[in-house]
Amino acid sequence: MEDDAMWAEALMKDLPSVPATAGLESRILADFDRIAARTPTDRRGWLAGLRDAVWPGVPVWRPAAVLAAALAIGVIMGSTVPLEDSAEQAASIALDEPPSFDLGEAS
Amino acid sequence: MFDPDTDLVKRAGQGDRAAAQALMARHLPKMMTLARRMLGGQAEAEDAVQDAFLKLWTHAARWQPGQAKFETWLYRVTMNKCYDRLRKRPGASLDEAVEVADPTPAADTVLANIELGEEIETALQALPERQRAAILLCHHQEMGNIEAAEVLGVSVEALESLLARGRRTLRARLGHLKE
Repeated sequence: MEDDAMWAEALMKDLPSVPATAGLESRILADFDRIAARTPTDRRGWLAGLRDAVWPGVPVWRPAAVLAAALAIGVIMGSTVPLEDSAEQAASIALDEPPSFDLGEAS
Repeated sequence: MFDPDTDLVKRAGQGDRAAAQALMARHLPKMMTLARRMLGGQAEAEDAVQDAFLKLWTHAARWQPGQAKFETWLYRVTMNKCYDRLRKRPGASLDEAVEVADPTPAADTVLANIELGEEIETALQALPERQRAAILLCHHQEMGNIEAAEVLGVSVEALESLLARGRRTLRARLGHLKE
């Protein structure tokens, strides 16, 4: 088996490398220019700066996912967990209102 | 793990054309050779390499250093682009079917008139695509087994099996060249 490996190694040395044509190089660079033009540098720099400030060295989806999860937890808690002193609050609101007396308009 | 490409990829992701050119100068020759040997035709190989670079340009801004060696990732993309093209060929089938077919006609009468490189290439093209890829990565691109296995998305044991079968087949066909 090692013999086969050495044989293959020697065989492959006889294979010449394949040069890339100038046309291919210019096509690849044209693709690069097109992609680079699509994303303005200042916008990309601003976004990258923000991402690095929030959570350095991670892809942008991670801080976005954490933010979305925090928002969802907040909304769920806000809509499902009742206020602890809601009865006490209602009583204090009733006391703050001016008393209403029936002064016999009905008679 | 130090990756010499990290800085270039980051700069290319920020739109730095000089960095893109440097990346191309570093990797294009090897990618071109790999694609040409995998696909057999120059035009098809150029298209596959162009597609691989296009993927690089679109992902460069999001490249995360440390997750994988850049070169390994780039080879993997190139290899996948080659596989895509091989599978789109009319009559393309599974590795086993390719293995059975032997496009080399009567060896003594034809091979005597063609050059050594062409003879090797013909034998390579007759190998099943994964065996061909393993042979090229390890013996032509001088990649280690672990890195080549990563490029191919297989275990090291599977890679060694592909290599052993590929070498055996090549030797059976080309044994007269290097004995």
